[in-house]
Amino acid sequence: MRIKTDKGVSGGGKVNAFLAFLKKEWRMSWAGWMFISPLVIGIAVFTAYPMVQSLIYSFYNYDGGRLFEFNGIANFRYMFGLDFEEVAKVFGNTFLYGIISVPLNLCLSYLLAVLVNQKIHAVKAFRVFYYLPVVIPGVVSGVIWSQIMDPSSQGVLNLFLGKFGIPPSGFFATAPTALASAIVMNLWGLGGGMVLWLAALKNIPAGLYEAARIDGAGVFRRFFFITVPLSTPMIFYNLVTGIIGAMQTNNTMVFASDGGRGPKDSLYFIAVKIYNEAFIAKDFGYASALAWVLFIVIAVLTAVTFLTSKWVYTGDE
Amino acid sequence: MRAMDKNKAQKVRRAVGLTLMYLFMTLLAVILLFPYMFMLLRSLMLDSQVMLYPVELWPEPFSFTAYVTLFTANNYFGYFLQTAKVVVFNLIAIPLSASFVAYGFSKYRFRGKRFFFSLMMATMMLPGVVVQIPLYVLFNDFGWLDSLLPLTIPNLFGGGAIYVFLIRQYMIGIPKELEEAAKIDGANPLVRYFSITLPLCMPVLTFIMVTVFNANWSDFYTPLLYLSKEGTETLAYAIFKDSLYKFVTPDKANLKMAAGVFMSVFPAVLFLVFQKQLIEGISTSALKG
Repeated sequence: MRIKTDKGVSGGGKVNAFLAFLKKEWRMSWAGWMFISPLVIGIAVFTAYPMVQSLIYSFYNYDGGRLFEFNGIANFRYMFGLDFEEVAKVFGNTFLYGIISVPLNLCLSYLLAVLVNQKIHAVKAFRVFYYLPVVIPGVVSGVIWSQIMDPSSQGVLNLFLGKFGIPPSGFFATAPTALASAIVMNLWGLGGGMVLWLAALKNIPAGLYEAARIDGAGVFRRFFFITVPLSTPMIFYNLVTGIIGAMQTNNTMVFASDGGRGPKDSLYFIAVKIYNEAFIAKDFGYASALAWVLFIVIAVLTAVTFLTSKWVYTGDE
Repeated sequence: MRAMDKNKAQKVRRAVGLTLMYLFMTLLAVILLFPYMFMLLRSLMLDSQVMLYPVELWPEPFSFTAYVTLFTANNYFGYFLQTAKVVVFNLIAIPLSASFVAYGFSKYRFRGKRFFFSLMMATMMLPGVVVQIPLYVLFNDFGWLDSLLPLTIPNLFGGGAIYVFLIRQYMIGIPKELEEAAKIDGANPLVRYFSITLPLCMPVLTFIMVTVFNANWSDFYTPLLYLSKEGTETLAYAIFKDSLYKFVTPDKANLKMAAGVFMSVFPAVLFLVFQKQLIEGISTSALKG
């Protein structure tokens, strides 16, 4: 009898203790949970669920409607088999664009920032001029530049280049020049990078430059031993977002011929192919498979960037 | 005597350097602003002039026919209204929703905080293409196609990791004492968020609102996915569509340019008004992480 009641009491004690623990947890955490609950729901519904879904789709033959049948790795076999030529082409184009465009933008926008970071008259006005193109919507800049880069020898840029004896270019209309034209066009938005660089430059303590000057360091030494090392977090940030952005470039849909493909597929990027496969060809399964491959490629590139980030100054040393 | 010569030479060298610098900077500004002028001038040409080769730069005569055509023969006012609805909704929803979540992350201790914060930061790296197809299917199931709901409702849930992150960074910098006083007076967490912390975040919220405006104003891709019905198009998507299918022949170039001018005026004016917050805003908030 006595033992039984003892047991009962201790069991009840465990439940009570657990309830007390829950109560304590709730009292400590409820407000925080309440505030982040929209985010958690949002991530579950609009990120986690679709991610899992698209992974599932990639193993199905799915047209977005009735047809939904498991077909194993057939999508991936098609990707690396019959469709491989085109897949290689679009990834090649995207890589080439990224490899040239990201570092080029990084360097030139840096130089631009150094230029407008000087303490000279009217420098603020120049900052505004250089940043203005960034606020132009991408669609509009696509429309403008396809007009400026008119492939006719009587187009405005060809006429201008002709004055310097440069032969007319086909720009977006001929395969060899199309990608280069897209890269040049992209430079119009240098102001966006410039503004981020200005932020980084402002964070460098002026005292460092003073000290270096007293020690007799010239402009170049100050640049390479102070400015560049202390800007590495910004370089890193720009590199990561630049890579992720470049791999998903789809603005060619605005100005490239043949539904964003360009002449001889020279402007055909992976993001545009995914769009075409999904929403034009209605092959949701294959498009999802492509999207997952792109996701893995981006994840690997980002991971490599992070793993090789020893050169980034973290402020601790 | 010699010292003075040296001084003078140095002064001359500096003046020449400065002049060259200004020349270079002006040249750069001219190059970067030329596309604007090109667009503006050609939007003011008649069909018969805009189609001429070699390309002409100066409208003769100046004419607003292209603009009239956009708003009478085409539905550009309707497109503008569609965009305006999306933009206005998101201008309110995103700052509110993002600051709500950021408040939790910056002012409270709770179980799972680090986990959820890392999760949120991870979504920032996630490419949109991976989720776009299932989202399309989901919104189709909801019956949301050809409506503005896919462009607005998802923004009620945090509004985007980068915005939450920026506001959180800002809120961490707000002194605790302000909150403590209200706590003693018996204000509950919602009141403290809304009436004390939120108003103090105005600088970062302004920056975010301008960014949100630009992002939503110029997005042509999301409407391309969800708005296929005639008459539901937003401005960016309509320009995309019209420049591909409607304003294709050379004599329609003035229409393209006029549409571009109409669409660029709003963000350009906004930028000129808020340029200080935009350029300085990035410097104070973007790089603390």
